[in-house]
Amino acid sequence: MTDDAIATTRPARRLSVVAWLALGLLAGALVALTIGPFRLTLPEVLAALTGLAGGTAEVVVWNIRLPRVLAAMLVGAALAAAGASYQVLFRNPLVSPDILGVSSGAALGAVCGIFLSLPVIAIQGFAFLGGLTAVALVIFVAQAVRGVDQTLVLVLTGVVMGALAGAATSLLKVMADPYDQLPAITFWLLGSLASTTRADLGPVLPAVLVGLVPLILLRWRINLLSLGDDEARALGVDAPRLRLVVIAAATLITASVVAIAGVVGWVGLVIPHIARMLVGPSFATLLPVAAILGAGYLLLVDTLCRTLATIEIPLGILTAVLGAPFFLWLLARGRRGWT
Amino acid sequence: MIAAEGLSIGHGVRVVGRDLSLTVRPGEIVCLLGPNGCGKTTLFRTLLGLIPALAGRVTLGGRALSALRRAEIAQAMAYVPQAHVPPFPYLVEEVVLMGRTARMRPLAAPSAADRAAACAALARLGIGDLASADYSRLSGGQRQMVMIARALAQAAPILVMDEPTASLDFGNQARVLARIADLARAGGHAVILSTHDPDQAFALDARVILMHEGAILAEGPPGQVLTPDRLSRVYGVEVAVERTETGRAVCAPSLSTPAPERRAS
Amino acid sequence: MIRLALATLVALSLGHPAQAQTRSITDSAGRVVELPEQVGSVLAAGPPAAILLYVMAPDRMLGWPRANRADEREFLAQPHADLPELGTLTGQGGEANLERVVALQPDLILDFGSLRDTYVDLANRVQAQTGIPYLLIDGRFENTPAALRLLGEALGVPERGEALAQDAEATFARIDALLAEVPEAERPRAYLARGPEGLESGVVGSINTEILERAGGVNVLGRSDTARGLVQVNFEALLAADPDVIVTWDRQFHETHRDSPLWSRMRAVQEGRVHLSPVLPFGWIDRPPSLNRIIGLDWMAAVFYPERHGIDLRARTRDFYRLWYHLDLTEDQLDRLLP
Repeated sequence: MTDDAIATTRPARRLSVVAWLALGLLAGALVALTIGPFRLTLPEVLAALTGLAGGTAEVVVWNIRLPRVLAAMLVGAALAAAGASYQVLFRNPLVSPDILGVSSGAALGAVCGIFLSLPVIAIQGFAFLGGLTAVALVIFVAQAVRGVDQTLVLVLTGVVMGALAGAATSLLKVMADPYDQLPAITFWLLGSLASTTRADLGPVLPAVLVGLVPLILLRWRINLLSLGDDEARALGVDAPRLRLVVIAAATLITASVVAIAGVVGWVGLVIPHIARMLVGPSFATLLPVAAILGAGYLLLVDTLCRTLATIEIPLGILTAVLGAPFFLWLLARGRRGWT
Repeated sequence: MIAAEGLSIGHGVRVVGRDLSLTVRPGEIVCLLGPNGCGKTTLFRTLLGLIPALAGRVTLGGRALSALRRAEIAQAMAYVPQAHVPPFPYLVEEVVLMGRTARMRPLAAPSAADRAAACAALARLGIGDLASADYSRLSGGQRQMVMIARALAQAAPILVMDEPTASLDFGNQARVLARIADLARAGGHAVILSTHDPDQAFALDARVILMHEGAILAEGPPGQVLTPDRLSRVYGVEVAVERTETGRAVCAPSLSTPAPERRAS
Repeated sequence: MIRLALATLVALSLGHPAQAQTRSITDSAGRVVELPEQVGSVLAAGPPAAILLYVMAPDRMLGWPRANRADEREFLAQPHADLPELGTLTGQGGEANLERVVALQPDLILDFGSLRDTYVDLANRVQAQTGIPYLLIDGRFENTPAALRLLGEALGVPERGEALAQDAEATFARIDALLAEVPEAERPRAYLARGPEGLESGVVGSINTEILERAGGVNVLGRSDTARGLVQVNFEALLAADPDVIVTWDRQFHETHRDSPLWSRMRAVQEGRVHLSPVLPFGWIDRPPSLNRIIGLDWMAAVFYPERHGIDLRARTRDFYRLWYHLDLTEDQLDRLLP
C-alpha cells in the first residue's frame, strides 16, 4: 500500500462506521418513541414531534416518551464514554466508570437525601455532589501518597472509597424507616428512568456536554496515557495533569447521569469493549463509537424495562442480566485483535 | 547534544549515584555499560527528566533541562524503552504516530504530514510493510523496531535507548544494533544506549561509559575501557577479551570458579 | 432421715416453679405457649406488634421498636409515648440485641404479622434461647378481630379485647353494607402512590395496598405474575390505566404532584381527586400495614364514595382515637388530621 493510501483509508473508514452507527441510533430512537401502552404509529409520532398533532399523542410523546428516550441515550452515552476513558487511563480493559467510587459516592448522597425525606430535586443534587466528592477525596488521598505508581494508588483508594461509601449507605438503610424510606432507597439503588421529566434533562445535558468537551479535544493525547506515565511524559505529554483532566471529565459525566438514573452498571464496562472490537482502541474513534453504542444499548434496555411487563423492571437489573453473560462470552472468545 | 555535569541521581533521600558527568554529541554512539543495579536506569530517567536530579544538572543543547517544558524536551530527546505488550491492540502506524505528539499542537489530531512522517520512519527501518499490523501481535524484535521508528518519527536529534536488545534473540539483536549504528553514523543522531553486554559496545565501536555501583568507573573507547581486569571486577566473573580473525574484540567469560573480590550486587 | 429431709427440700424447690401459675395459650401458628398467670410486661417484636400492644394494654409496654418523633408523640397517650427505643426482632429494619431483650425481662414477646415459616422458626428460636414465651399472632387484616380477642385473653384483659374486636367488626360491617349497594361497575379505580415521586405502589395481593380493595376500590395495577409486593410503576402504563382516585400518605408527593409535568396530565389530578391520608400517630392506610388501618377504612370509603358513605368522619375519628389510642383529640388536632 502506498503512503497516501494508508493515510486516507483509516480515517475515512472510521468516519463511515461512526456515521452509520449514528443513523442507526436515530432510527432506534424513533422506533422507541412508537413503543408503549398508548398505541402510536411512526407518522403519529413524527406529527407529535413537529407539533402538528395535538391531544394525547403530543402529551405522551413530549412529556413521557421523549424525555425518557433522550435520557436513556444520554445516560448510556455518558457511561460508555466514561468507561472508555477510564479503560485507557488505567491501561486495563476490565475497568468500569465506578472504579474511583463515583457511583458509590452518588448512591450515598442520594440515600442521604431519601433518608432525610428531601424533595426529588435535592436527592438528585445530593447524588451529584456525592459522586464528585467521593472522587475528589480519592484524588486528594492518592496525591498524598508519593513515589508509587499513581494508577495503582488511585485504583486502591477508589476501592477503599467504594467500600466506605457502601458501608455508610448500608448503615443508612438499617436506620431508615422500613415501611417508607427503605423501599425508596432500594428502588433508587437499582436504577430507573421511570420518572424522567424534561426538567431532569435540563441540568444533566449541559453537564455531560461540558464533561465531554475536554475528552473530545484531547482525544489524541489520551491515547498516550495507555503507555504509562514514563513513556507518555517522554513523548511530550504532561501525564499527571492529563490524567487529572480525564478523571474530572469522566467523573462529571458519570455523576450527572447517576443523579437522575440511579446506579446502572455494566454499560461502562461492556460497551467500550464492543466498540474497541469494532473500530480499534484509538481514542479518537473509540469515544464517539462507544458513546453511540452506549446510547443505543441503554435505549434498548430501557425500552424493554418499560414494556416487558405491566410493572417496571429496574434498569440496573436488566443491564446486569444482559451485560454480564455477554461479557463472559466476550472473555471466552478471547479475541484481542480487531483487524 | 546532551550533557550531564556533576549529577547525583536517586529517589528522595536514597542516592543511587554521585558525581556523574557525561556528554553525547551528534553522530556519536555512547554505550552505558554496567551490571544490574548499578544505576543505569535511574541515570536514564534523570537524563530524560522523568525524575529530578538530586544535585548537578542536565543540559540539552546548552539549555538546562529543568527550564524546559515537557514538549520541548520531547522535541529534543526521544526515549526508546524496552518493547512491552500494551493493553490495547493499537496498529503499528498508530504507535509510531504517537511519537509525533510532541510536534503537534496541544489539542490537535495527527495531520497528513504527521502520518507521512510516521510512514517514512517505518520505511527508514525497513518495516514499512508492518504499518497496518496489530502491534501486540508482533514478535519482540519487530516491536523493538517499532519503538525505534516511533522515536524517529519524533524527529528528535537525541535518542536515549534503554537496553534495546533485551529479550531479543541472537539474530534480532544484530539487526537492531545495525540500525542503531546507521542512525548515528548516517542519520547524525546522538545516541546513548544502555546495555549490560560488553560485546555490543565492541560491535558498535561506541564510546563506553562503564558504571559500577553508582559511579563511573571509566570512560573512553571500548578497547581502552573494557579490559579483562575491569570487566572481571564489575561483573564478578573471570573475563577474557580476545580478538577474532576479523579484528573484532569479543568478551569470553569463564564458567569456572568465581573471581575473589566480588561483592554481592 | 436427713437424706429424706434433703430430698423433700429438693423436691419442693424443684417443684416451686410449677407452683407459679401458668396458662397455656395457642397462638395463630398453632404453637402452644406457656404464659405466666400475670403478664406484667410485654416486648413487641416489631412495629405492628407494638401498635397491637399499645391499643390493647399500653401499661404493659416496655418500649417501642423505633423512638417516636415529636409529632407522633403528640397523638399518643402519655406516659407511653415516651417509652424508650428497643429495636426490632422481626421484619425489615434491624435486629434487637437478644441480651438486651433478656435484660428487660419481659413476661412475653409479642409478634404480629406474617405466619410464614421463617417467622415461626424465629419465634421458636428466640423462645428457646431466651426462655421467654413468644406469641405469634396472624397479622392479616381480616384476622384483626380474632387477633384482638386472642391477645386480650393472653394479657388477661378479655373485655378490652372484646371491645376492640367488636369495633373492628362494626367497621368491617359498615363498609360491607355500603359496598353491598354499589355494583362492581361503579367501584372507583384507585391507585396508591408511594414514594416521593409517587411511582412506587403495590399490585393486587400486596399487603400494602389491600386496604384499597377492602374499602371498595379497584387497584388499577391489577394482578401481576411476577411481583407480590411493592413495585415500581411505569408512568405511561399508569396514564393508560387512568385511575379515578389516587391516595397517598407521602407529603412530598402530595405537595409537588400538581406541578409535575407528568402527573398534571392525569385525569384524577386534574379533577382534584388526589387524597393525602393522615399519618399520625400511625399511618391510616399503611406504615405499618397493621390494625392502624381500621380508621383508614372509614377514611378511604369516604374518599371513594363521597356521596354515599354516610360516615361522620370527625366523630368517628374522635371515637376511634379515644377507644383505641387512649387519646381525647382536641378540635385543633382533629383539624390537622382531617383538613
